[in-house]
Amino acid sequence: MNADRMRELAEAWGGDLRRWPAAERSAAEDFAATRPEAADRALFEARQLDAALDAAPRVVVSTALSDRVIASAQGAGLKARAAWPGLRRLLWIGGASWAAAACAGVMFGLTLTGDLERQAQLDLVLDQASIGGLDDMAVLG
Amino acid sequence: MAAVVDPDEDLVRRVGQGDPAAIQALVARKLPRMLSLAQRMLGDAVEAEDVAQEAMMKAWKQAPRWTPGKAKFDTWLHRVALNLCYDRLRRRREVLVEAPPDRPDPGPAPDRGLLAAELGVRVETALKALPERQREAIVLCHYQELGNIEAAGLMGISVEALESLLGRGRRALRAALADLAPNAPEAVGGRS
Repeated sequence: MNADRMRELAEAWGGDLRRWPAAERSAAEDFAATRPEAADRALFEARQLDAALDAAPRVVVSTALSDRVIASAQGAGLKARAAWPGLRRLLWIGGASWAAAACAGVMFGLTLTGDLERQAQLDLVLDQASIGGLDDMAVLG
Repeated sequence: MAAVVDPDEDLVRRVGQGDPAAIQALVARKLPRMLSLAQRMLGDAVEAEDVAQEAMMKAWKQAPRWTPGKAKFDTWLHRVALNLCYDRLRRRREVLVEAPPDRPDPGPAPDRGLLAAELGVRVETALKALPERQREAIVLCHYQELGNIEAAGLMGISVEALESLLGRGRRALRAALADLAPNAPEAVGGRS
C-alpha cells in the first residue's frame, strides 16, 4: 500500500475503512498506523463527500404506504394459520371425549334409575301382600 | 458451497406461514430500505412508493416458497426492487428521447451559505445527474450499506469494476459539490 493507492481506494469506497474490501482493509490500516498524516490526507476528501451524501434528505415511509403494504399481504394469499394446530386438534379430541363421557354417564344413570324403579315396585307389591296379614295356609285352607 | 447465513430467515419463514406479527415486522424492516433505494435511484417520490409497494408484493408471494440457505432475502429483495427501478428508468428514456430534460440546476453561487436542507437538495440533484450505473453503485454501497461483494453481485460485475464505478461516481459528485468543500489538511496545515 502506498499513498496513491490509499487515495484511490478512499475515492471509491469512502472515508470509512469498514466499508472497504476486506482484502484491502488490513493493508490500509497498516498504512494509516505507520503514515497517519498521509492517510488523513487521503481520507479527508472522502469523508467530506460521505458527510455530504448523508445530508441528502432521509426517505420516510408514510403510514398510508405502510398500511397499504400490510393489507397487500392478505391480498397475496398470506393468511394467518393457527399457531398450535396440534394443540388445537388435541383440545378438540379432548372436548369430544368429555362429551362422549357425559352422554355415557347420562345413559348409565337412566338405566340405573329404571332398575331401581322396577326393584322398588316389586318391594311394594310384596309389602302390600304382607300388610293384609293373610297367611298362605289360611288362604289355601 | 457453504449455506448463506441470513438474518431474515426466521422472519421470512413466519411470514410464509401468514403470521400477522411477522408481516408487520418485515414491513418495518424492509419497506424503508426499499423506498430509500427506489427514491435514490428514481428521484421521484411517487414512483418510489409504487416500486417499494410492488417489491413488497413480490416478497409476500415469495415468502411461502422461500428456500433458506441459498441467498439472503435482503439481497433478493434488492434485486427485485432494482429491476423494477430499471424498468421505469428504461420507460423514461424512451419518453425523453423526444423531449430532452432541462439541464440540472447548477446550484447556488459558491459564496452563498447553505442550510442543511439546501445541501440535501444539492446532493440529491448531483446524485440524480450521475449515469445510472454510477448512481446504483453509490446507492447500494453508501445508502443501502451493502457489502462490496454483495453489491457487486447484485450489479453483475466484479468488485474491481464496482470500485471503478464508485470512483468515477464519487469524483463526479465531488466536482458537482466542489464549491462547498472546505480545505484539505494539507492546505490547512501546510504539511506534505
